[in-house]
Amino acid sequence: MKTTTRIIMLSLLALAAAASPARAQSKSELTVALSSFSAETLDPALQGHNVKYYLSLMFDYLVGVTPDGQPSQAGGLATKWEPSADHKRWTFHLRKGVKFHDGTEMTSEDVKFSLQRATSKRSTTGYAGPLRTLIADIETPAPDRIVIVLKEPTLIIPTYLSRSLSTEGMVLPKKYIEANGDDVFARKPVGTGPYKFVEQAVGSHIKLTAVDNHWRIGVPKYKNVTFRLVSEETTRIALLRRGEVDVADISRERVKELEKEGFPIHMRKEEAIIHAWWILGPEGRTPPTKDKRVREALNLAIDRNEIAQSIFGGYAEPAVIPMGLTWAFKDVGFKVTPDMAYAYDPARAKKLLAEAGLASGFTLDVYAFQLPGFAEGKAFAEAIAGYWEKIGVKSKLIPVDYPAFRKMWVDRKAPGAVGYYNIANRDWIGAYALLEKQGYTPSKLNDTVNDPEIDGMIAQVMRQTDREKINALMRNIFTRLRSEHHGLPVVYVHSPYATSKTLGKYNPGTVMYDLFIDELARR
Amino acid sequence: MLRFVVFRLLQSLVALAILSVVVFILARATGDPLHMILPMNASEEDYANARQYLGLDRPYVEQYLSFVGRAVIGDFGNSIRARRPVIELLQARLPYSLKLAAFAMVVSLALAFPLGVMAAVHKGTGVDRAAQIVAILGQSLPTFWVSIVLVEFVAGRLQWLPAGGADSLASYVLPGFTLGWFVVAGMMRLLRSGMLEVLDSEYVKLARLKGVAEHRVVWVHALKNALIPVVTFAGIYFAILVTTAIVVETVFAWPGLGRLAYDGITSRDFPVIQAVVLTTAAIVAAVNLGVDCLYALIDPRIRYGR
Repeated sequence: MKTTTRIIMLSLLALAAAASPARAQSKSELTVALSSFSAETLDPALQGHNVKYYLSLMFDYLVGVTPDGQPSQAGGLATKWEPSADHKRWTFHLRKGVKFHDGTEMTSEDVKFSLQRATSKRSTTGYAGPLRTLIADIETPAPDRIVIVLKEPTLIIPTYLSRSLSTEGMVLPKKYIEANGDDVFARKPVGTGPYKFVEQAVGSHIKLTAVDNHWRIGVPKYKNVTFRLVSEETTRIALLRRGEVDVADISRERVKELEKEGFPIHMRKEEAIIHAWWILGPEGRTPPTKDKRVREALNLAIDRNEIAQSIFGGYAEPAVIPMGLTWAFKDVGFKVTPDMAYAYDPARAKKLLAEAGLASGFTLDVYAFQLPGFAEGKAFAEAIAGYWEKIGVKSKLIPVDYPAFRKMWVDRKAPGAVGYYNIANRDWIGAYALLEKQGYTPSKLNDTVNDPEIDGMIAQVMRQTDREKINALMRNIFTRLRSEHHGLPVVYVHSPYATSKTLGKYNPGTVMYDLFIDELARR
Repeated sequence: MLRFVVFRLLQSLVALAILSVVVFILARATGDPLHMILPMNASEEDYANARQYLGLDRPYVEQYLSFVGRAVIGDFGNSIRARRPVIELLQARLPYSLKLAAFAMVVSLALAFPLGVMAAVHKGTGVDRAAQIVAILGQSLPTFWVSIVLVEFVAGRLQWLPAGGADSLASYVLPGFTLGWFVVAGMMRLLRSGMLEVLDSEYVKLARLKGVAEHRVVWVHALKNALIPVVTFAGIYFAILVTTAIVVETVFAWPGLGRLAYDGITSRDFPVIQAVVLTTAAIVAAVNLGVDCLYALIDPRIRYGR
């Protein structure tokens, strides 16, 4: 027995030694732990927005943006772009001498191929549909020049193909894909980005290695970058404490604790708006929320400051405009005035309900679910349901998962019921694209507004090429959304990212679903 | 014996066939996977395109026959979410689940054996009660809670062992212990009751009368005969551990089958759900079949009685 005990003790010691604590990352390695990889696809045509975290290291966009979301001629494969006088032909001049990771040179044929692939029926990217509708033809007059011919004049093409939106603007290797097929490309992607694909273990990690020198960031600071999928926050934080990861997404409630321990916290301010809405019926709004006074009452009953403090740990700000994305506000010159804010006023809410003939209240279904990046979802639903109870609205909480809610929403099977989403903040074109789907009657499936006046303005934005007129239209849309109470804007949430104590300066930027990890690799 | 084996094999195949229908229907009853893979702003046309591309626009009967026809040759189709063959995902994940389950089983055996034997030998004493408390705690403490506590303190604060991943032998310890401890209670109780029965038997008394050393009586003569139900229990639990470690795999970022199943379910990835359910059912059926055959070999009454 004594020998056995000795063997066990020695084995445990050896194990402990092998797992020695807090091995700090060497400078050649950067590890990012994220709670979700979304679909974990490596092919930009198979998933939109939320795979940009890692794909933007492997691929370059036709149009680059700075971390604060401004178009940048230094950050993309196009060094300049210009529209024709009628805004129906956009010419992009390509950077010369850029090579894919397999050594072939990037040309306009690759850009054309990528765009056609991104808008093909197989594509499930964020803006494949609108681009499919807009693009009439793609011309390649020279290896370093590409012309996109449009069916309608528009200003939005460069942004749609930029890093600020989804993945349609990523440039892929035509020859490699044609020679090897889509499946091989999806397993071993080849791009022109500063990092090359090494391996993927689905459900575990994606490992990348640096190119020798990249036109965008020079010689990358880190030889390898690994994205680790770690769903559980406690585990991500433990990995951070052990020095096994350098960047991790964390919840708002753990911020103070980690700050006390000396871990730098980087906030993506107003990363998303927590926005709730009433599901439309087959013919549009249904009573009682068809009545504007009821919609206003439900807004006034919510104490946004309390929600920001109690549910989001103080890392949130009250929201004012339905679907109002603040990063777009500055682009279009929209100012939120104090009188627009929804004061917490249950007395006035009750009065409005009484005026609408609903003094004794009514029953309202509230779907409760969690979403990626919005772990507080169910608590949020319980909170708003609780506020509405106080003004006599009997809220029935229906716990579901998001796909089940989504089905009710788009099938319009639960008219008047309340759902919500954490809509990622984005620039004016992103905001417009959101409105075009979620606030535009002809889009049917996703519409949550059903207002002919707003429909008219959205249609005008689509055809307008005068930026000032677009800005005015966008401002009017936001104003109308607020004055008609077309939704329940509740709070803007800030999203925290913790980094290791040795990582140094980091700006996760303000571009949706992009953490600009490649900027960390810039020397 | 051959007739018995063939009969049980047929039973297992029928069970798998019924299960294939059930999982096919239930997976589709829970919602549309396109709501998860298409962007929020997808149009009706985008939905129609994706449905056609993924073959989800075909009649259900056609989809089912296609699924079963390919499944029998090990082709479970492509994952809707990951867009790659499901068999590839299974092949990548199953070894991790098997290794973790094996490690957990070693942990549980290492704990259950001494605890069970000591509890039986020292029946009614403080040792017995302490052993039972340790075992029962393993079963009664929620696995999720045990996992979180271990990650927070052992990995995060004390920094003794890795918090997640499957990179080294050390990374097996915390998830393996969490799973293994859960199994200890059942195993230890079986061993304890078996040992008590055996220790009271005539041949053990004879061995003691003959002057055989007590540790040899306990650890050799008695233990050997108390092992049979424990081995059966361990076999069945091994299959269960392979297939049900979702919580532990999630907390410890372990790339196993449980996580694959969870991701498949949450994203309505029908091919993955179907493949995982059928694979795990096949594993459980195979283990049960093996155990039944062992029983039949040991006890002829079972094979004749069918």
